[in-house]
Parts: sequence; structure tokens; C-alpha cells
Amino acid sequence: MDENKLKADALVVGGGIAGMQSALDLADQGYQVILVEKEPSIGGKMIMLSKVFPTLDCASCITTPKMSAVANNKNIRILSYSEIQSVQKNGSGFIANVLKKPRFVVEETCTGCRLCEYACPVDIPNPFDLNIGAIRAVRVPFSTAVPQIAVLDMDNCILCGKCARACPVDSIDFLQTEKEVEIEVDTLIIATGFETTPIDAKKEYGNGKLHNVIDGLIMERLLAPTGPYARVIRPGDGKEPESIAYVQCAGSRDETLGVPYCSRICCMYAIKQAMLIAGSLPMADITIYYMDIRTFGKGYEQFYQNAQAMGIEFVKGKVAKISEDENQNPVVRVELIDENSQIIERTHDMIVLSVGMSPKYNPSQVYGVNVDEFGFVKSPTPNLSSTKTNQPGIFATGASTGPMDIVDSINSASAAASSAASYLESVRNGK
Amino acid sequence: MNETTTTKEPKILILATLSGGYAGADYVGQQHLNYTTNTSILPVRCPSMFSTEFYIQAFEKGIDGIIVMYSGTDSPFKGGPERTAVMVDQTYKKMGELGINIKRLKLAAICTVCKKPFLKQVNEMNKTLNEIGFVQDELADQGKDK
Amino acid sequence: MTEKTNPKPEETKIGVYVCYCGGNISDVVDVEKVAEKMREHPNVTIARTDMSMCSDAGQSIVENDIKELGLTRVVIGACAPSLHEHTFRGTVARGGLNPYYFHHVGLREQDSWVHSNNPGGATEKAVRLMYAGIAKANLLKPLDMIKLKAERHALVIGGGVAGLRAAYDIAGRGINVTLIEKTPFLGGRMAQLETVFPTGNNAREDLHSLINEVRTHPLITIHTLSELVNIRGYIGNYDVQIRSQSRGVSGDNAEAALAACTQEVPDDFNYGLTKRKVVYRAYEGCFPSTPAVDWEHYDGKPIEIDGQKVIFENKKKTFDLRIGAIVIATGFQPYEPPRGDYGYDELPEVVTLPQFIRYMGLRDGNVGELTWKGHPVRDIAAIHCVGSRHLAGVHEPQPDGILNNYCSRVCCTATLHQVNELLDEYPNINVYDFYEDIRTYGLEHESYYTEASKNMVRFLRFHGDQRPEVAAAPEGDTHPVLVKGKDYLTNGLEIEVPVDLVILAVGMVPRPVDDLVDMMKIPKGDDRFLLEVHPKLRPVETPVPGIVLAGTAQSPMNIQESCNAASAAAAKVSVLLASGQVELDPFVAKVDLDKCTGTGDCIEVCEYEDAIVLETMTVEGNEVQRAVVTPANCSGCGNCVSACPHHAIDVQGWEVAHYEAMVDAITMEVEL
Ligand SMILES: Cc1cc2nc3c(=O)[nH]c(=O)nc-3n(C[C@H](O)[C@H](O)[C@H](O)COP(=O)(O)OP(=O)(O)OC[C@H]3O[C@@H](n4cnc5c(N)ncnc54)[C@H](O)[C@@H]3O)c2cc1C
Ligand SMILES: Cc1cc2nc3c(=O)[nH]c(=O)nc-3n(C[C@H](O)[C@H](O)[C@H](O)COP(=O)(O)OP(=O)(O)OC[C@H]3O[C@@H](n4cnc5c(N)ncnc54)[C@H](O)[C@@H]3O)c2cc1C
Ligand code: SF4
Ligand code: SF4
Ligand code: SF4
Ligand code: SF4
Repeated sequence: MDENKLKADALVVGGGIAGMQSALDLADQGYQVILVEKEPSIGGKMIMLSKVFPTLDCASCITTPKMSAVANNKNIRILSYSEIQSVQKNGSGFIANVLKKPRFVVEETCTGCRLCEYACPVDIPNPFDLNIGAIRAVRVPFSTAVPQIAVLDMDNCILCGKCARACPVDSIDFLQTEKEVEIEVDTLIIATGFETTPIDAKKEYGNGKLHNVIDGLIMERLLAPTGPYARVIRPGDGKEPESIAYVQCAGSRDETLGVPYCSRICCMYAIKQAMLIAGSLPMADITIYYMDIRTFGKGYEQFYQNAQAMGIEFVKGKVAKISEDENQNPVVRVELIDENSQIIERTHDMIVLSVGMSPKYNPSQVYGVNVDEFGFVKSPTPNLSSTKTNQPGIFATGASTGPMDIVDSINSASAAASSAASYLESVRNGK
Repeated sequence: MNETTTTKEPKILILATLSGGYAGADYVGQQHLNYTTNTSILPVRCPSMFSTEFYIQAFEKGIDGIIVMYSGTDSPFKGGPERTAVMVDQTYKKMGELGINIKRLKLAAICTVCKKPFLKQVNEMNKTLNEIGFVQDELADQGKDK
Repeated sequence: MTEKTNPKPEETKIGVYVCYCGGNISDVVDVEKVAEKMREHPNVTIARTDMSMCSDAGQSIVENDIKELGLTRVVIGACAPSLHEHTFRGTVARGGLNPYYFHHVGLREQDSWVHSNNPGGATEKAVRLMYAGIAKANLLKPLDMIKLKAERHALVIGGGVAGLRAAYDIAGRGINVTLIEKTPFLGGRMAQLETVFPTGNNAREDLHSLINEVRTHPLITIHTLSELVNIRGYIGNYDVQIRSQSRGVSGDNAEAALAACTQEVPDDFNYGLTKRKVVYRAYEGCFPSTPAVDWEHYDGKPIEIDGQKVIFENKKKTFDLRIGAIVIATGFQPYEPPRGDYGYDELPEVVTLPQFIRYMGLRDGNVGELTWKGHPVRDIAAIHCVGSRHLAGVHEPQPDGILNNYCSRVCCTATLHQVNELLDEYPNINVYDFYEDIRTYGLEHESYYTEASKNMVRFLRFHGDQRPEVAAAPEGDTHPVLVKGKDYLTNGLEIEVPVDLVILAVGMVPRPVDDLVDMMKIPKGDDRFLLEVHPKLRPVETPVPGIVLAGTAQSPMNIQESCNAASAAAAKVSVLLASGQVELDPFVAKVDLDKCTGTGDCIEVCEYEDAIVLETMTVEGNEVQRAVVTPANCSGCGNCVSACPHHAIDVQGWEVAHYEAMVDAITMEVEL
């Protein structure tokens, strides 16, 4: 087949848990699916997480087999490191123009052996670890990446050629250029996911400048067995923290930040992380400052009750300000609602801001779909058919349609696959 | 074998149904509850497949206690639990004949979320075995009597 | 693949892999040590460890080893087999081996996670279990999946919004659907709502748009007043029996019967707030529009229609269907507080939220002032978490022994939505909202909370172990009821709020479905809701192949979530039935004809029709009887195995010899 022109039944945009699930559900019904992912590997946010609520399974243990199932499914083709430039209507279907970014590595021959990575002399901050740890300018993105193919960061490459000499299969290609691929499909699913709300948005919380104030996603990396240090330490000085506090709704439910909605996952992930920390640092004091604890899902309230029984301290209070003392210990100023609204200051070793979710990508331009004021894809029928968009044949799923945890994302993804399959059947039967 | 040292632990074999005890054991794991390591859990579809001979052989090989964690009335197999009970009853008789303490074999219905019953069974079997000792000693004693 | 390629146990080349499981196993079990011990085993060609065996990279290692080292068996020690046994069978197959040449040993749920207090013992146990796994692997035989024709026909149980959505989506994929609804009318609980969050749309209008799509779909058949009464078979080929009751009235005499009927009973559609006739429509505009007789309450007396005395007759009929897969969408019922709890059922001024919604829906036209039982309503208290979020040691378990310790998820937003609607219409009413946490979690839900605050709803926060109390006010008080409690927004101040009406935000409990649970052998969770296999890997599937869950039968959900779950269930059904063929594990009985002498003991104990029979065949010129298994009918229970005096039967993949070998391995003394 001409590699610049591809044809399939469905195109799924975004290879996070939602996109993967939609792709699998369609492929398992016999449809041909192309999965386009902007990053060098599929996996989305979930592959970065440590363990996941409410089962406390390790996130990789759930994600990597899905990634592998996607990679091994004969009906799915992954286009990684690629982005959709434009989408045109084509009868009842679509033609999408995709830009494949250069990896500077020949995909067809690279075996993922990592010899290039070991040979590369340039260390750069590791994006997979949110720039905490270091990684080489050429590398396999992370150990469980799919596809297992190296990618070279040309911005940081010094063109020393060491990787090219190390590569046993001559796969380094410094002259690779971007490629355009045209894809003809009948239906399209948007699964572009979310971004955490920025840690530096709030002046009262130090604009991201305080040494030992991090956000929830970084804590996930610190807790992950694959993370940069494989243990929880203060980013400021590498000390093991003895007192850790969570500030809930840091970036959500806050009109001043333009995020009035509740992000829905941060209560649960904070409790989860607190439990994990209590496991790895049994002597540490853990406090969660909150307004409302929103543990609404199946098994979630029980999870919250377990955390309370474990001795994690839940304090109902509004954190007005975070500053730091001379030892770079963060100091919270908090109004204790349960104690006559008295305002106190407490010093901790480390603070985690429970940041929320906002959309990663606004698809309204390229796909012509309606989005809400925040950029989440909006369904004309949110109750009865939440994955529909205003464009017939285009569906949206997962966190691109609103904050959602993994369970809800997976159901939404299967729902999108269902709607897309019905659409495919109806256009084929000329209905 | 004439071993009398008691530094070793009694060995507990747990035959657990995929639809009941085995899933229950997984659930106990998900809850991170602790029990003793002298347990070997083997998955079975339905323990109705095991004849008296199988159980007796296991004791003779040195298994000190067997807990059959079947699915009871939750079994997906028609007639399976009943047949299991029949086989276990037959085995009790045979154990009696051979002088093997019948407390070494226990039939228990364990469901997929039965964490407490699961732990109770394991703890009770441990307690029993601590009281009655190793099966090899029991069999050796029998040998002497005869 | 034939048996001939099966190497003798002593010639097997086994690859053994022990997973760190990202720390889940290796934090307790000395994984490297385990691998080292494995290398001592004579049949082990290679033993490796990996951070996560199930990752693509981990799986590739296995594939390569099979190809390069010529492995003939694979044993992996990792998480529970229920999670990844299937994954690894695929890996082994891609490596070129028969997928059943693989054995999975659970080292996480049954070792590291339960022995964190004894790492040494856990490591020893891991070695023991792995040796047992190797012992079994040595004896494995190659097997092929059983391929069966699958009926492209799904059964949906429950005609609420989730069942309707599932039916429509399955039919959309070109698969036949039969939808059965127990009551005479479709729509479930959603029909009892008025406007719904987050759209503000009228619930019944939205519902009817879906019902119309369902009832006009050529592939969907609807049976109201129908229930499942029997089920046999297996995925792809379930034989189900459905019992339908008749409506009692038909098109010709229906309207007349409705008009003539005089017997009245409490109207369950309005949660007993009103009465209705025993010949009834659930509501105006319901589907089907033909009224039905309420058989449970009908007193059997004749009713005079057009001068004729008519006695309604319930003509029950049962019919059989062959079904490929089943969706359970049996829904929920609002929690009903016991008499006296929060004054419920004792004080006339205490209602549940669903009752209140009905009350508001029942008012006709614009009434100047809100009244309750004839009295003007000036002050209202809403109490959250009634029947939800109960605490062990503080609250009594329910009569069935279960503690309602879960959050019902919809009541917070539903309450605030009602309160806002009420205040839009009656801005002068004061609302006191007693809550513990406000859980307006959804994208558009928080605005209900902010709006309620703007509407001057007075929020009062209780602690879960000190819930508010409701009592009758003393004679002559300004208001009939007092709500007492501590408000932790004002330092635990004791407060007493006099009100005219108390709304209890009751939670959800599943509709009783014990009959279905028993018939289908599907599990319920600690909270009585139907239980999925795994919330992330298989969130809508039950452990019984071909039976999936949709909507609030599984857990509290709002409409959007119910519909998403229903569509997800439809996707699973489509995956199963789209090709018209299902593949089953080959774990069925197999008779060794060389050993069988035709005693027939196996047939005696087999409970499955036509699973095993004696057939006449010719052996060495003699006509003999031998047992023969029909794989599609055999459940693989193994009843026959222990019955055969000649050890001539085994369940494939689960042979007695496997267990004997595993027991040998377990009783071997291991030194670390
Ligand atoms: C700190 C933290 C902890 C969490 N912990 C848990 C937990 O324990 N349990 C739980 O259930 N949930 C948890 N979550 C939530 C969970 O991460 C999300 O529910 C889930 O990742 C959403 O999946 P998704 O596929 O919709 O989005 P994502 O995971 O964001 O995936 C989107 C994918 O699309 C790609 N993409 C984006 N734009 C484009 C484009 N234009 N073209 C092509 N590709 C594109 C992205 O690169 C990404 O791969 C947590 C979240 C956070 C922030
Ligand atoms: C007070 C209240 C207010 C709410 N407000 C909102 C709102 O504003 N917005 C929102 O999104 N959600 C709201 N909800 C939630 C919403 O009602 C549910 O999400 C939705 O109705 C669930 O639909 P379902 O199909 O799962 O269950 P149900 O509606 O209960 O339907 C189940 C159906 O199955 C039938 N059935 C049961 N057993 C059998 C059997 N054995 N055989 C055959 N049929 C059977 C039943 O008769 C019923 O018709 C509210 C809930 C409550 C309690
Ligand atoms: S580019 Fe070459 S050296 Fe680098 S991983 Fe690929 S094959 Fe190995
Ligand atoms: S989930 Fe919890 S922390 Fe997150 S925005 Fe909602 S209430 Fe705040
Ligand atoms: S949704 Fe609100 S009222 Fe309902 S149980 Fe949860 S916290 Fe309580
Ligand atoms: S395994 Fe069970 S179902 Fe199959 S033939 Fe034997 S007794 Fe019958």
C-alpha cells in the first residue's frame, strides 16, 4: 500500500486509556482502526501514574497490557509522534491529513535495543518524569513504551554521531524529515485527553516558585516504581519528608483561575497518594486540607474511610496562602472551618497541590466540533449520548469531554466505540 | 521418614475454585490482609474432580492440611458442590481407616469477596495443625501401631 | 498441532519469568532469588525477571526466547491469573507455541500482598509455587479453542434508560435484541423525574426520544410485563425462558376499562403520594400507551364495562429464546428509611427527595404559593446522605446485615438541582441544607452548588457520626417540625431549625435481583450491587462469559453514566456476537478410549444434558460401549473425573496428574 495514503474504518485521535479502549473495542468487532498519537509512545497520562484508585493496582500493570493489546491487534495501526493537521468531509466519511514528525530513527528497522541511548553523551530533563530526572537526547521514551522505537530530540542533539555508530542496525537518520499521510476513514473518535491545571497559576500558592511545593502528577512520578528516584523525597534538597500536606481544589472550583468546575479526580488521587506515602514513609504525618471530600464512585467512599482509619488527617479548611520559611519548608495559612474558622499557620516539609484537569487540546478548529467555554468537547445530548458531537460521524471520549477518572474514561471510550460502530453500520446500510 | 524436628512449618494445601475460593484469595490480597506463608493455593475449576485417592496421596506426600475452598451454592457447575461433598465424605471415612486425623481436611464455601471466612479458614487450619502436629508423624505412629 | 509434537516431560525446555510488578511483588518477594532458584531446575532453559512482564517489552522478551531458545513451555509468576493469563497466552502464541503451553502463577494477590510481614516466607512460597507451576507446565498438552456458532441475538433485561440505550446500540450494530421489562411500561426511574441535571431538559421528553428510537427499530422486540424464569447454556448459546403476563385489557376495551375501574391502590409511580386505579397507565404519554391491570393488587372483582361485567384475567405465557449474550439493566430503587428515621413515615412533613420531585411534578399549573398538606411552605430542610455513607460502629447495618457505607453519587446534585428549581419559582422560601460534603463532582454539577449559594441556601455541615435529627415541634410552635444538629461550619454549634417540610436526600440501593443472581451465577459486591470482573480491565463484564452489566444495577450512577455504561455493555456484546462465532476455552472432559471400559459411572454423575454419553464402537473387531464427550455441552466441572474407576477421564488443561505433580513440588523441601 502507498504509505502516504491510508484507508481504514475508524480513526482514533489520542492514545491514552480512552483512545486505546475505543480502538480495541472497534478492532475487536472487526473494524480497521488507525490510532494517531502525538507523543512518541501511546499510554497517555495513565502510564505515568503510580498505582491507581480504588484497587491500588499498579498503573503500568493495567496500562501496559492494553498498550500491548493495541500494538498486537491486527486491526489496529498506530501512528505515533503524529498529529492531525486538517480534516475534510468526504461523503459520510472523512479525509484526515496527518503530519508524522521525524524521529530521526528509522521506525521499520529500530529494534529498541537502546544502544544509541547508552552511547549518547547529552543528558536532558526527562519529559516522562515531568523533567525531574534526566534522560538522553536519543532514547526509547520509557521502558514500557509502545512502540519500542527510539526518538531523537534534535533540539538538544549535538550531532556527535555516537548514536549512529552505536546502532547495530543503522537506524539513526539525522536527515529524516516530516511526512504527510492522508487517511480516509468513515468515522472519527477524539480522545485527546487532559492536562493538569498549571501549578504556577495561583499567586497565593507561590506561583510554582516555592521549593517544596509540587503538584499531584509529580507526586505520581515520585511514587511510581519507574519514577526518577523510586522514592518520595523533597525536590528542594532531596530530604525525606516527615510531614506532607495536600491542598485540595488547587486549580479547580476557583472562578479566579477560570476553572469553576470540580476536577473530580483530585480528591481520590490525593487520598490514594496519602495511603501510598503512609506505606512507604510510615513515620510521616499526612494532612489533607479540603473543602469537600468527593469520593463518589464505586468503592470510593470505603477507600476514604480506610484512609481515615489509617490515620491520615483530614482537615476541613480553606488554604488561603502558602509561603516558605528560611529552611524552604512550606507554610500554609489555613482557615480551620471545623474549629470556629480560626486562622492558623502550619509548617510542613512538603506540600502537594491537588491540581485539576483541563483539556489538552482544543479540537474545534480542525474537526469543527463544539466545545464548551473551557475547551472540553460538548455533546448536544450529554445525558443520553455523551460521546456524540455536533458533527455526525465524529465522537469524543475520555477526559477530552470533561474531567474523568479511569473507570469513567473506559466506559466512555467503549460507549464512543459503540456509537461509532452504529454510525459505520448505518452509513454502510445506506440508512 | 522419621523426622521429629518442629522447626519446619506444617504445609497447607488450598484447593480453591476459580469462581469462589481462588477469587476470594485474590480479594484478600487486594485488601492487603496478612496470613501465613505455609499456604499453597492451587486454582481448580471444581473440586468434584478429586477422588479420595488424590487426597490420601497428598497426605502421604506430606501435606499436613487441605482446605477445599469450593463455591458452595454459588458454584457455576451443576452438581459440582454436591459431588465434592460426597467425595470429601468418602475421604473422611478413608482417613479414619488410615488413622489420619480428619481435621486435616476441611471443606469450606468461600465466595469471591469472602475475606473474613478465608482468613478464618486459614487461621483455624493452622491452629488445628499446631495442635495435632505433622501428618508424617501421624502416619509413622500408625506404622508403629501395626 | 498434534500430540506428537508434545515432548516428554523430561525433554521440555521451560522459560520461567518472574515479574517485579513495578514493585508490587518485588517489594516483598526477593524476585532475583526466585529466578536464581528456578535456574536450578533441570527443565528450565532460562529464568528471567522483569519490571513488568505484561508490558509490550516484557512480552517481547518471552516471544524472542521462545523463538531463539526453542522453549517448549512458559511459566510466568506475576499478578493474579484472572488479570493477565489471557494476555500471556497471546504472547506465547505469538512466539509460535500453542497458547496452552503456558502456566500462570499468581505471586501478587496470593503472595506479596498477603505476606508483607514475612518477606522471607513470601520468597520461599514464591519458589514453591513456581516449582509447582513448572511441574504442571511439564505435563501440559497442546489444546485448541472450541469454536461455536454464536446466536446474533442479545437479551436486555430491564427497560430503564440504561436498558433502552444498550438495546438501541446493540441493534445499531446489526444484532437482534429482545428487551424485557418487568413492569407494564418502559422508562424505569427516569420517567419519574421532572427536569434533570445537567441539561435542565424534561426527563420524560428525553426518555421518549430514546423510547421512540427503540420501539421503531426493526431489530428490537420489546416484551413488557416479562421476566426471565430460566436459563441454560453458555455464551453464544443461552437458552432462556421468559414469562410474560398479559395486560388484562386490550386496545378495544382498554379506555373503557380504565374509565370504569374503581379499585384504587397507592400509586408507586408517585411513591405513594397519590392513589391510582388498578387498571392504569404509569403516566400520561407512557409507552406502551395501552393501560394494564396491576395484577398484584387487583381484587379479582368484576368491573362493569359498557353494561357488561368483566373479570380481568392474567393470561401468562412463557416462551423460549436462543440468545448469544445478556445485558442486565435492572436498575435501582431509592433507599427507603425505616419508620421513624428522621421522622420518616411518622411525621407527615418528612418526604424523600424522589417523593418531593413527584410532588412538584404533580402540581398543575402555576400555583402562587407552595403548600404541603394544605399548609404554606416557608422553610425547608434538606438532609443529605440518608441511607448512604454509613459508618461501621456508628450506624446500624440494614436488615440484610449490610452497612450502606457507599456514596450514592447522584443525591447531592439532584438535591441542589431541586432546591434551585424550587427557589426560582418561590424565591421567598428558606432552604437549610444539611450536608457532610457536597459532591457536585461532574463538569456541569458544581454550578448547581454555586447557584444554590447565590440563592441564599443556608448550608449546615454535619459530621458523619452526628447526623441531624428530626422531631415534631411542640404544640403551638410556628412550624410543625424541628431539625436539630451540630453545624460544623460554625464550630459545631448546636442548632435547631424549625421547618415546614423536610426533604431526605435518600441514596440508591439496587433493585432486588436475587432470582437473576441465582439463575445466572453472577456475583454481588459487598454493597449488594452487581459486581464487575475488574473496575478498569473489564468494567461492565461479569465473570460469566456473555453476561454484562448496564446502569445502576451495578452501582449508583446518573443518567449520563448509566447511558455510557450501557453503551459500553453494548460494545462488549457487539464484540462477542459481531462475527457470529465465539471461542471457548477447551477445558472440557476428554475420555481416554484406551482406558475406558464403558462402565458408565461418568454418565451417572454428569448433570449436563448430552455432555457425555455411551456410544457403541468397534474395538479390535468387538462391539463395545465407550464414553464420548460433546465439548459444547460439557461444562468441564470434572464430576465424571472422580467417578471413573479407571482414571479414563480428565478435564483438558486441568488434569489430575497436574495436581499430583504440583503436590509433589509443594511437598519438596526448598532451601533458599
Ligand atoms: C495526578 C493524577 C493522578 C491520577 N490518579 C488516578 C487514579 O489513581 N485512578 C484513576 O482512575 N484516575 C486517575 N487519574 C485520572 C486519569 O489520569 C485519567 O482519568 C485518564 O488518564 C484519562 O484518560 P484519557 O485517555 O482520556 O486522557 P490522557 O491520558 O490525557 O490521554 C490523551 C492522549 O491523547 C494524546 N493527544 C493529545 N492531543 C493530541 C492530538 N492533538 N493529537 C494526537 N494525540 C493527542 C496525548 O498525548 C495522550 O496520549 C489521575 C490523574 C492525575 C492528574
Ligand atoms: C431522586 C433522584 C433524582 C435524580 N435526578 C437525576 C438527574 O437530575 N439527572 C441525572 O442524570 N440522573 C438523575 N438521577 C439518576 C437516574 O434516575 C438514574 O441514573 C437512572 O434512572 C438509572 O437508570 P437505569 O436504567 O439504570 O435504572 P432504572 O431506571 O431503575 O431502570 C431499571 C428497569 O429495569 C426493570 N427491571 C428491574 N428488575 C427487572 C427484572 N428482573 N426483569 C425485567 N425488568 C426489570 C425496572 O422495572 C426498570 O424499568 C436521579 C435519581 C434519583 C433517585
Ligand atoms: S535507533 Fe538503533 S541503537 Fe537506538 S534503539 Fe533503535 S536500533 Fe537500538
Ligand atoms: S475532586 Fe476534590 S479536590 Fe478535586 S476539584 Fe473536586 S472537590 Fe476539589
Ligand atoms: S451524593 Fe451527596 S448526598 Fe448522596 S451519598 Fe454522596 S455525599 Fe451523600
Ligand atoms: S466434565 Fe462435567 S459436564 Fe463435562 S462430561 Fe464430565 S461431568 Fe459432564
